[in-house]
Amino acid sequence: MRDVSIVGTGTTEFGVLDGGVKDLGSRAVARALRDAGVERPDVGALYVGNFVAGILEGQGAVGPIVADEVGLSGAPAMTTEGACASSGIALRQAQRAVASGEYDVVVAAGVESMTDAETPEFTRALGSAADRLTEGVTGLTFPGFYGIYLDRYMHEYGATREEVAAVSVKNRANGAKNPRARFREPVTTEEVVESRLVADPLRLYDCCPAADGASAVVLAASDLAGEFTDDPVEVLGTGHATGHNAAHRYADLTTLDATVDAAESAYAEAGIGPSDVDVVELHDCFTPAEIGDSEDLGFFEKGEGARAVAEGRTEVGGEVPINPSGGLLSKGHPVGATGIGQVYEVCRQLRGDHENQVEDAEVGLAHNLGGSGAVCTVTVLGRGDRR
Amino acid sequence: MSADEGVPEFPARVCVDCGTLYGHEPSVCRECGAETFETERLPGSARLYASTTIRVPGSDHQGQEPFVVGLVDVGNAVRVTARIEGIDAGDPDARPAPDSPLEYVGKRDGTFYFRPA
Repeated sequence: MRDVSIVGTGTTEFGVLDGGVKDLGSRAVARALRDAGVERPDVGALYVGNFVAGILEGQGAVGPIVADEVGLSGAPAMTTEGACASSGIALRQAQRAVASGEYDVVVAAGVESMTDAETPEFTRALGSAADRLTEGVTGLTFPGFYGIYLDRYMHEYGATREEVAAVSVKNRANGAKNPRARFREPVTTEEVVESRLVADPLRLYDCCPAADGASAVVLAASDLAGEFTDDPVEVLGTGHATGHNAAHRYADLTTLDATVDAAESAYAEAGIGPSDVDVVELHDCFTPAEIGDSEDLGFFEKGEGARAVAEGRTEVGGEVPINPSGGLLSKGHPVGATGIGQVYEVCRQLRGDHENQVEDAEVGLAHNLGGSGAVCTVTVLGRGDRR
Repeated sequence: MSADEGVPEFPARVCVDCGTLYGHEPSVCRECGAETFETERLPGSARLYASTTIRVPGSDHQGQEPFVVGLVDVGNAVRVTARIEGIDAGDPDARPAPDSPLEYVGKRDGTFYFRPA
């Protein structure tokens, strides 16, 4: 297996944007190609993560549609779909395709367009990631999944609503400085715990907003990276695991096995452990998700994540900076784009030009989760000159 | 007098080949791959693992909100996702706490219903 590096990145803002998935995806891919200085004939393949375009926009074949639009006809293009982890999967497949020697240069992208839909419509579309026959019929939504999760988490570990709200307070403060974020106003603990109930005990400011957006990266074999950039980011390791297709499938809902397993794979491939990670972008679709993820990724013991965030240990200057981008809670969650959007933010950290820069960040981690913890990808990235 | 008197039995499914019990109808047996199941009736006493009140439903369930969905352990045998009824769903303080006792009510439109015991 060859070492693989990211040699170009491109993104749109995340927010309420004009255009559908063809427009947004094509812009992100074109920007990444321009950043890398890659000629189109040199692109071996294109992987595009997308989840709900078929449901909300009536647009299928997103990978090939985007490929032709950006001048990549001829190259194999495909859509990867794993709910909200769709583009984490795209990156993982792209890395494998280069590492195997099949291609020297591959583009991985993610795209979603959601804000034209009314809330009940996109709530239904996102709910399609849960097993329709056992859970969809009950009316359980994704905020509802994390409402149940939080109900049990607080019961098991004694976490308080105020501690959990600290996730939103931290991430919204970070997002205030990120020009790519949909929400750029900070919130207080009081505003979170007094916002209206969505899926008890989850409240509105515990929930990430929907968004439109697209992100892309160009990957190349590391020994060719110097042809494209002086500042490559190494893909040190990736993991991709399957968890459970419904909430009732977990014996312990407060541990999402897919995250544990994907992290174990990614850490092993990178040859590092959680204590070596300098900056983290993880899947904070809801406040309790960030708390559980921070434990399942190995940064804190189970049951300590809520206290850790309330104590400031995950702020930009803390021991484990988590979501300095503002996370999904601030950036918004254009579901198919989120995974590579996270990778984009980590690349900026490792290149030293992030708006919320973590000092001397050399190793970063991106964690992307889909469905009821049904699918997870973890990507470990390293600054090109760290060795 | 049985604690379960008057409580309907819960219709679990059991793999005819290996005996694995399921709460929801399986597509195939996760343990042995078999495709044939029979109903095995369990006492309808149950326990709530955790729950939520859905106040912003998807378009398929609009108009039903607020409603409570929970994970329910039937006996110590199976866990299912179900609706919880018999409480004031609009009252945040009325939702039963994790580990509260429940009893089976029945199945309507593909969904299991339980209520506080």
